[in-house]
Amino acid sequence: MRRTSIAMLSLATLLALAAAAARAGTEQRAADPGVTPTSLLLGGTTPLSGSASAYAAVARGADAYFKYVNARGGVFRRKVSYTYVDDAYNPAQTVQATRQLVEQDHVFAIFNSLGTEHNLAIREYLNAAKVPQLFVASGATTWGRDAAKYPQTVGFQPSYQAEGWVYGKFLARTKPRARVAVLAQNDDYGRDLLVGLKRGIQRSPVRIVAAENYEVTASDVRSQIAKLKASGADTLAVFATPKFAIQSYVYANRLGWRPLVINNAVSSASNIMQLASEGGTNKTVNGSVSVAFLKDPTDPEWRNDAAIRLYRSIMARYARGASPKDVYHVYGMAVAYTLVDVLKKAGATVTRAGVLRQARSLTIPANPFLLPGIQIKTEGADQFPIEQVLLQRWQSRGWRSFGGIWGFRAT
Amino acid sequence: MRSASRTIAPIAGFVALTAVVLVLPAFVTDFRAQQFAYVGIYTIALIGLNVLTGYTGQISLGHGAFMAIGGYTTALLMAGNAQFGQSGLLGIGGGMKDIWTIPIAGLVAGVAGFLFGLPALRLSGLYLALATFAIAVATPAVIKNFEEFTGGGSGINLFGLPALTASISPAHVAGFELNFNNYLYYLAWAVALGLYVVAWLLLRGRTGRAFRAVRDSETAAVSSGVSLARYKTLAFGVSAAYAGVAGSLFAIATTFVNPDTFPIALSIFLLVGVVVGGLGSLLGPIVGAVFIQFMPLWAQQVSKSPGAPAVVYGVVVILLMFVLPTGASGLLRRAGLLASRGYDRVR
Repeated sequence: MRRTSIAMLSLATLLALAAAAARAGTEQRAADPGVTPTSLLLGGTTPLSGSASAYAAVARGADAYFKYVNARGGVFRRKVSYTYVDDAYNPAQTVQATRQLVEQDHVFAIFNSLGTEHNLAIREYLNAAKVPQLFVASGATTWGRDAAKYPQTVGFQPSYQAEGWVYGKFLARTKPRARVAVLAQNDDYGRDLLVGLKRGIQRSPVRIVAAENYEVTASDVRSQIAKLKASGADTLAVFATPKFAIQSYVYANRLGWRPLVINNAVSSASNIMQLASEGGTNKTVNGSVSVAFLKDPTDPEWRNDAAIRLYRSIMARYARGASPKDVYHVYGMAVAYTLVDVLKKAGATVTRAGVLRQARSLTIPANPFLLPGIQIKTEGADQFPIEQVLLQRWQSRGWRSFGGIWGFRAT
Repeated sequence: MRSASRTIAPIAGFVALTAVVLVLPAFVTDFRAQQFAYVGIYTIALIGLNVLTGYTGQISLGHGAFMAIGGYTTALLMAGNAQFGQSGLLGIGGGMKDIWTIPIAGLVAGVAGFLFGLPALRLSGLYLALATFAIAVATPAVIKNFEEFTGGGSGINLFGLPALTASISPAHVAGFELNFNNYLYYLAWAVALGLYVVAWLLLRGRTGRAFRAVRDSETAAVSSGVSLARYKTLAFGVSAAYAGVAGSLFAIATTFVNPDTFPIALSIFLLVGVVVGGLGSLLGPIVGAVFIQFMPLWAQQVSKSPGAPAVVYGVVVILLMFVLPTGASGLLRRAGLLASRGYDRVR
């Protein structure tokens, strides 16, 4: 009896403590949540732990850019603060964290949350609650395609289908006799790239002679690469995340296979390519083709570029300890720049409706963190902000772009 | 006298717990109520795991998989799978009201657990841990593979479905208006309290004795006429049914399921929850559930550097194991013993 009452007492104390913690900070309300004359609060989820924690650099880059903007007076004297919460790349945690941001922290908007399924899991909720879901960090086509059904949701990056389509068109034009082997991750991301590739090679003699899948949870893709080699293909399309892309290069090399490798943008950052080249000894890496829309901070071409110099100084100042070589930080700054641009255009009295209106009719001809010539544009039914990429080829330890800007109309 | 106090103490504790559960939402924000709903959900899973690990001595690293089975049962019954192109025998129409899917989810997971219990009979200790871990690893891949049946990696969305109570507009229950968060809270805790009673009834009698006998010495249990096969598979079935119910409520609360919502880490967190809460008490599962729900959030407040939350979490678990090897209930038991000794002395 006594033991039980002690138990109940401690339980009650525990719950009361948690309750007290919850109470603090639910005051103040403006016209729309998250805005005061001196501040604007954004929230988002990102994997800070777990298998995908490398993507945390996206949120960190964006956060550093907002701090830089705030140090220079903010936007209309409002400091933009960005709360990013760990979801361990688990959609169930994305849902809980997003509800916390909306219902407890009262954010103005959800911004830059990362992952396809993760954003799918919160889209219905955010649209029902009328909270903007801005610049989703995922390449699924649904963000742009279903904009009419989900007015609060705006995408950002080029879609995977569009990227695949560019590779298809590139092969059809430059290597019409190509016989292509495809390694794809067994989910929507891998499938979307493959769908795009197939669309790109339509009505051309290019043939896909083999396609192999792997599970995200797999340990390696050795057997897949061996099978793809056995198909006699002369071109290998790698629609895989960095770990598996690196393995593809390594195993192909060990098997003495030297196809033209098409490596998707997810895995084409220079530091990953360096790893794949095994200190320059792996020659399969040479001549690889990929697309890019961001300035790569390790590319010597941008060494003296004003935006990349600014990027380095922001990183040194506001993201101490993070590696400035990581292109995901540039992504974060590019998307943060876009949001700041939207806030500026939305005017001094900022509302959710006003911000959405601007995000739905974006025109940013030159986001400094994107490659020159690539513009950010949404208008009417076309709700895909970035629809241009540059093809690039890996030559002597670095990417060299070629062939000018590729535009596409994502569907 | 002794046996009377052994009956009265849990009942009094249970009444006190019910009272706390009932009044808590008055003191916390809506959002906090939702977090406590998740505490209730994990509590259910931990009561079940306690039956298996605490009472029968079988280890399971696969309870996330049974939660997945429960969660998917509920999601499919609510949303159907015609939208993924499934037809024929495996086609599920959907549209079932959320609360009616909960017992079915428990039943389906329970049957799965019972069936898994059969081969598990041949394994014990580490080998059983590995076998159960294998189901936790395999389940997400299996769900992904049968895309037409389960919706694959994109998952199943429940938010806004008419079958889901209160997600769009508040529900009216017995004259009270409940928004989604409060609805989740009361639903999860009503089920949790009900299942507490079921577990208590199951464990206090003959079955509970048999479970403990199996745990303490299989040889002795067999020689006293306890059927090992029967009670081990029963423990697996019961415990999986609890996990299934928890998974079902988890799907309702999250309004979304996909293979990644039931990762391997979930199975491990559940085992950590059982260990942190300690075995064999009313309070243990709740403490464990609070730990599962809130520890990752607290770990994040310490540091957001890459990988840091996971390290903080790990360090806290290791420290707890050093300081509280018998978990929270062990600590309370010791505190209770000390207090009663002191009381006796004063008297």
